[in-house]
Amino acid sequence: MRNLRLPFSFSIVSLLSGAVGVLAVSYIGLIAVVMSYAALTVEFSQSVKNDEAAVAVLEGQYLTSVSNIQDLDYRTVGYAAPIAQIFVPATSMTALR
Amino acid sequence: MRAQFRSRIRFVLALIVLAALLILVRLYFVQIVHGGDYALKADRQFASGGSGLFDRGSIYFTGKDGTNISAATLATGFLVAINPQTLADPEAAYAAIAAVASTTVSHDAFIAAAAKKNLVYVEVAQHVPDAVGQMLAAENIPGVQVLRERWRYYPGGTLASQSIGIVSYGSGDALTGQTGLEAEYDATLSRSGDSLYKNFFAELFSNVGNLLVNAKDAREGSVVTTIEPDVQARLEHDLAAVNQQYSSKESGGIIMDPATGAIVALASYPDYDANDLQNVDPSLLGNPLVEQVHEFGSIMKPLTMSSGLDAGAITTRSTFDDPGCITVNTMRICDWDFKPKGVIGVKQIILQSLNVGASWVATQLGQDKFRSYFTSFFGQKTGIDLPNEGHALLGNLATTQQVNFDDMSFGQGIAVTPVQMIRALGAVANGGRMVEPHLVSAIRLDSGITRTLDWSKTTRVFSATAARETTQMMTEMFDTKLENGRAIIPTMSVAAKTGTAQLTDGHGGYYTNRFFHSFVGFFPSYSPRFIILLYTDDPQHVEYASETLDTTFLDLTHFLIDYYQIPPDRGFATSTPA
Repeated sequence: MRNLRLPFSFSIVSLLSGAVGVLAVSYIGLIAVVMSYAALTVEFSQSVKNDEAAVAVLEGQYLTSVSNIQDLDYRTVGYAAPIAQIFVPATSMTALR
Repeated sequence: MRAQFRSRIRFVLALIVLAALLILVRLYFVQIVHGGDYALKADRQFASGGSGLFDRGSIYFTGKDGTNISAATLATGFLVAINPQTLADPEAAYAAIAAVASTTVSHDAFIAAAAKKNLVYVEVAQHVPDAVGQMLAAENIPGVQVLRERWRYYPGGTLASQSIGIVSYGSGDALTGQTGLEAEYDATLSRSGDSLYKNFFAELFSNVGNLLVNAKDAREGSVVTTIEPDVQARLEHDLAAVNQQYSSKESGGIIMDPATGAIVALASYPDYDANDLQNVDPSLLGNPLVEQVHEFGSIMKPLTMSSGLDAGAITTRSTFDDPGCITVNTMRICDWDFKPKGVIGVKQIILQSLNVGASWVATQLGQDKFRSYFTSFFGQKTGIDLPNEGHALLGNLATTQQVNFDDMSFGQGIAVTPVQMIRALGAVANGGRMVEPHLVSAIRLDSGITRTLDWSKTTRVFSATAARETTQMMTEMFDTKLENGRAIIPTMSVAAKTGTAQLTDGHGGYYTNRFFHSFVGFFPSYSPRFIILLYTDDPQHVEYASETLDTTFLDLTHFLIDYYQIPPDRGFATSTPA
């Protein structure tokens, strides 16, 4: 081991020390990325929930209007009962003749 | 010089390594050892009172075009709290809050809370809308905190409220589903609340298994129902109308696809608004269509008829002598009009709703076979995905007195839930096969995967021939008898049956002037898209179901034909409405 010689101009200790330094800096960088990611996740999640809540308000209005339409008497808004109903020829396979 | 340079380099590298080690140790403590504490601390900056923001999956209606519309979701807003120790001017603070937040506590309660100087946190207004909360926060009133809040919101209000259910604090300290689909699918809808703090490196150290396969991802999601909001609204509207017109105790209805068991609408009246539970009668929180049993009366006759035909005890050409009333085991059984009909064909049992005829079929069938058929119809729960499903009361099946079997043949002396009833009658519409009634078609997992639920299991209870022959009788009843034949739809065959049962008096007998009305029908008769079951309990001043529920049934039938553009299944004609 003592006689081990690398074909480089610097020692193995320096090489490993440098590697540790690079890894440490990389780790710190990755931690920063992860924390930013977590922060963005929280922010986006909150944003999505807010949007869903806004959509829910619109859905509430839609469902209220659906109920109102069911309650609506068409005659009160000027419509009249049809004079005649004309049915189209049946082509159903299960038609009874 | 070279040696000196090398030693300096080594010294610098040692410092870097030492610094890196210190940072590693520190990060380990921050992320893993104290990670939970920091997560909680972050939570408090977003949420109120030390707990995380409420989170829960959604429940969706499904429109006829496949669009999902929220039936239960989350609303986002603010809650307002005061710190009595730092609140300088309670009157001014109350005025400012009450001016914008409609859910504020009363003035007296606010002042009383502000006087409790030993407290630091008292909530005074909840569910404050987003814009209002931000406006209030901008005022920066000393001692007043405006905090983020999320709560359960039901966009439809009363729409399908008894099926969707509610969330509330049960025995624990967490909001959980208590009734309806909220309870049935609580494991899917509830959230553990830590998903936002997932850290790849922390997970790598602490829980590598979860990093690869997360059990929560396979469980947490949203629920997609088969309920169609427009149809549901129509059914609720019609039930409310009939209930109010006849001052009934309760009215209910189910619309189902008889081939798949998918329930398109399920409603009872009275119901409640799930967004406003403060003054709701607790007895309304359950679902009577699943939990309560009734004697349905003559809509049981198609099942008796199908059983008799399937067993070979009778054929469509069989005849019997109907004296109008018969005596069985000293008990008198009569037709609705008490009149003798002479020798008539069996289809008259359905067309004229003859109790004596149904009793005759039960006698021809024999007690053992009758017991076997009706146990297969009602002996088990339907398996519907709603909690607290009730059991049918089938005690009379265990007896040997023929009068009990005769009673059951026309729907008295046997009590079943509406869901059990539509499931059994659905077999007549579905070629003799009973399906699994259900409200949820799929689970949309948070992982992005949609898991379709399998409800394809069917149970054959009688032959397709018996079902078709009974359907023909029910179709003729609709075409010729309902509203004296005026209800006929020229281009659509509809099979139907009315039922009028006497209500039990609680002392082993029946009232002679109080009734339970029911109505069942499906269309097109020989390839049905929908089966409708309706009932109204104890309607006042009216005796027969044909008087109370035929209008409701016809309205729903025409609505569904138009809404789903169901193609005609029989001849065409021109008609002029009366």
